[in-house]
Amino acid sequence: MAGRRKLLLRKVAAFAMVAATAVTLASCGLESGGALPLKVGPGSITPVPELEGVPITVGSKDFTEQIILGYIIEFALSAAGADIRDLTNIQGSNSTRDAQVHGQIDLTYEYTGTGWINYLGHEHPIPDPTAQFEAVRDEDLTRNGLVWTDPAPMNNTYALATSRATAEATGVRTLSEYADLVKRDPAAATTCVETEFNVRQDGYPGMAAAYDFDPAKAQKQILQTGIIYQATADGTQCKFGEVFTTDGRIIALDLVLLDDDRSFFPKYNPALIMREGFAQAHPQVAEVMAPVSAELTDEEITELNRRVDVEGKEPADVAREWLVDKGFVTAAD
Amino acid sequence: MSTETSPRGSAPGAGVAATDVAVVDHTAAADRRAERMRLLAQPVLVLLLTGGVLAWAFSRDLNATQQASISVANLATLTWQHVLITVAVVVIVVALAVPLGTLLTRPGWTRLAPVFVGIANIGAAAPAIGLLVLFYLATRTTGFWIGVLPIAFYSLLPVLRNTILGYQQVDPTLIDAGRGQGMSARTVLRRVEFPMAVPYILAGLRTSLVLAVGTATLCFLVSAGGLGVLIDTGYKLRDNVTLVVGAVLAVSLALLVDWLGALAEVYLGPKGLR
Repeated sequence: MAGRRKLLLRKVAAFAMVAATAVTLASCGLESGGALPLKVGPGSITPVPELEGVPITVGSKDFTEQIILGYIIEFALSAAGADIRDLTNIQGSNSTRDAQVHGQIDLTYEYTGTGWINYLGHEHPIPDPTAQFEAVRDEDLTRNGLVWTDPAPMNNTYALATSRATAEATGVRTLSEYADLVKRDPAAATTCVETEFNVRQDGYPGMAAAYDFDPAKAQKQILQTGIIYQATADGTQCKFGEVFTTDGRIIALDLVLLDDDRSFFPKYNPALIMREGFAQAHPQVAEVMAPVSAELTDEEITELNRRVDVEGKEPADVAREWLVDKGFVTAAD
Repeated sequence: MSTETSPRGSAPGAGVAATDVAVVDHTAAADRRAERMRLLAQPVLVLLLTGGVLAWAFSRDLNATQQASISVANLATLTWQHVLITVAVVVIVVALAVPLGTLLTRPGWTRLAPVFVGIANIGAAAPAIGLLVLFYLATRTTGFWIGVLPIAFYSLLPVLRNTILGYQQVDPTLIDAGRGQGMSARTVLRRVEFPMAVPYILAGLRTSLVLAVGTATLCFLVSAGGLGVLIDTGYKLRDNVTLVVGAVLAVSLALLVDWLGALAEVYLGPKGLR
């Protein structure tokens, strides 16, 4: 009896230890964040006395562009004197949002379309980018106390792309011309899409409605994202493919983006967002970052994405390189 | 050398052997009863799962995005694609692995067995998603066969391994007996060895079938369709209804296919060994 109880106790103790270890490991997730991997000195961004030594945690989602954008904030504010904690590469949009709402990160670049559709739950985007931004800014402030600063000109949205050869052979350069081709000759317009884009209302079905063609008539193939870029460039299996407008592979594979001439796709302009309290305590952050955001155009960010995704460089290196090239900061060792 | 004609084992120590046989028969009978219960229960479970998840999904207020995924026509198409992929995989696996396994157990060929088992091992150990994408990169085409062939390679091992094992477990004295009666090596293979290996081959096939149904959920990556489309759509859109419908239908299909495999084991095995 006693022996059995001892055994039981030992089992309980072992279980408790395992559980404690698991809890400790799990809690490591979003606790601290790392230090900046590279150092910068002042350029056109000079030290701001009010930001000197202010601890700021910067976050980002887990894809290339977001990580680059995260590092751009970090290096810029580091040059202004802030004490930066790096929390880039958070898994998924929703986790990043939760981290910000709960104060684990202070600052991140968020897209207007994501805010409007995913976080604020609207089904239909606003076609005009400025109106879209203002709508998100006002609603997110009243509902969630989050402040959106002026967005960057870059717009990472959906698009249909095609290879240069297909573009020349078919003469299709806009989505209206694409719609005509689908109506005229569906076989010549085989289109490759992802599972998600195939059903979402701001994806293929909505696009078909906006451009007056029957989505059932289009010949579609459902493929994995990475394969779509390659297969569209090859131009045999996919004449057209769904892409993200700032993906580095667009340059690397020489893809041509079709112009969204009826302005259907949602606008995904990134803007810096922060909690209201943080924005009021540190108004200098928005001032320092405004000229940096203004420089972030589609061409610039696509090239930065290409350096990471195609050339295999580190996002932090690419981000610092860009800030140095633009004269915002200087590289320091 | 005296040849025993008794159907069960040898005469020496018959008393001990008889009690052993009785015990074995008793547990075997219990196993058979459990197996028969399972054969009855499994299709009922499949019906309950499928009916349940469909009733749950269609009784909900689906938004336009969900309706694009969860429609009778779309579910039927995707399920049918999934079934076709599975059938094609199984046909390829059987057509390849059974003759290959037979060949690799013939005298003179056994030395090659580790090579082919090794290759099949690589197929089974490599991640299925990697096989699919590598196969796309090698062929630069998409579609049904680009989904089917890597999955067939992936599910080859159980049947190949079990075919070889099935032949290896045949008692050599039975082969001797066959040869002694004047059968040719080929007739012994056809009338003695193969029937005795069939239960093993079928067991391997059942494993392969379930593997094939599971991994066929990845075939959508190369435009081969299947229920993976629903799972991926639901996952990417955070739409749990679509995700659950896809996953439960895939599970039901796996259970159904496993049940068919079990039926095959019962009815296709050699009569004397059932």
